[in-house]
Amino acid sequence: MLPILNLGPLALPVSPLLLLASVWIGLELTERHAPRYQSNPDLLYRLTLVALIAGLVGARLGYAARAPQAFLASPLSLLAPQPHMLDPWSGFLAAGLAALIYGQRRQLPLAHTLDALTTLLAVVAVGLGLAHWASGDAFGAPTRLPWAIFLWGELRHPTQVYETLAAVLIAAAVWPGGRIARLSEDQGAPGARFWAFIALSAAARLFLEAFRGDSLLWFGGIRQAQVIAWAVLALALGQIGACLRSRILNAGPK
Amino acid sequence: MNKRWNLFSALALVLGAAWIALSAAAPGSVTGGLTPAPRRGFLAPDLALEDSNGQLVRLSDLRGRPVLVNFWASWCPPCQAEMPALQRVYDDYGEQGYVILAVNTTFQDSEAEALAFIEERGLTFPVLWDWDGDAARRYEVRSMPTSFFIDADGIIRDVVIGGPMSEGLLRAQAEQMLQQMPQER
Repeated sequence: MLPILNLGPLALPVSPLLLLASVWIGLELTERHAPRYQSNPDLLYRLTLVALIAGLVGARLGYAARAPQAFLASPLSLLAPQPHMLDPWSGFLAAGLAALIYGQRRQLPLAHTLDALTTLLAVVAVGLGLAHWASGDAFGAPTRLPWAIFLWGELRHPTQVYETLAAVLIAAAVWPGGRIARLSEDQGAPGARFWAFIALSAAARLFLEAFRGDSLLWFGGIRQAQVIAWAVLALALGQIGACLRSRILNAGPK
Repeated sequence: MNKRWNLFSALALVLGAAWIALSAAAPGSVTGGLTPAPRRGFLAPDLALEDSNGQLVRLSDLRGRPVLVNFWASWCPPCQAEMPALQRVYDDYGEQGYVILAVNTTFQDSEAEALAFIEERGLTFPVLWDWDGDAARRYEVRSMPTSFFIDADGIIRDVVIGGPMSEGLLRAQAEQMLQQMPQER
């Protein structure tokens, strides 16, 4: 765990830096691979930038909306460079809406765009695992297994390591030129790469959540994240099925 | 191909549902507030330190009120920068039950300089003295300032490493924890 990197007078938060680095690397690679998915690298870059900016603004406004009086008393705080004052769900919503509007205005084909952006998502997923490792977030349940790590007062599953390894394997599975990616690249099933990434990520979360020590629980000890991951998995499997059907239909008349 | 995919999907979903049921959490197997650790979601490790008047202040005695524990040092510029905002928040929310404990890391600071700083800035919230570094060790303080927002049940709701914290963040945290007080108790 390395939450803060002390460099002289500077105390740098490692977790956000790792995430930023993963976004940057992911964007570079996405631009490079974009032509494989019939996407324009410049438009993809702008789409991501628009989504990131909208996401940040939305996340800050969502946080402020939780305690409006606090920000009415100190309005300049809205501009403070503090990652703590962000509401993730508001951010995702704003980023998604902004990307949708931008994509429609530029008439970006949805399936091809999602396939191209899968590289970015896969790299950011690895970055997220590393960021969790640095901050000690997404920690594991207590265990006595030989590979347990001592964290937050107990020996625990190294869930951040599990998460990172799973993300690396998933990235490798959907990497351009691979068997899954080629379904979208040259086998007439646009969208298959993106939905395969979503399905694999959901399956990994469904499996690994069982080892987490910070799960939000529903009735009977059922873990909320697993139920959501199961629903996402069902949707993604259905979408992959649709992509495969479209491939068969496209290939039919030839 | 399509039939095989449908079969595979159905099997994956059935196995997934079975795994959800099998891996349901046993009581106490996830975070809970029972393990003391300097981390969001955990019980705040107890503190027993003397304040400027020589009175012993124990964190666990403040259960029932939200508390901000702020580790600081007089030589640390971000600590100095956030103190006026801490004072304003204390002025506005202190009467509603919000507690601020400013733990001076005296083992790496000078008491005289810290007292001069408190005097100069007119700080009225309790300042505690961590003479031997025990409190900083318990809270795994790696950087200055570090702040722990602790709710009325003694559970850490947020940790902010580094600073200065904006006044908006301080106010938002105070308001949210004060709002939650009646529901949590």
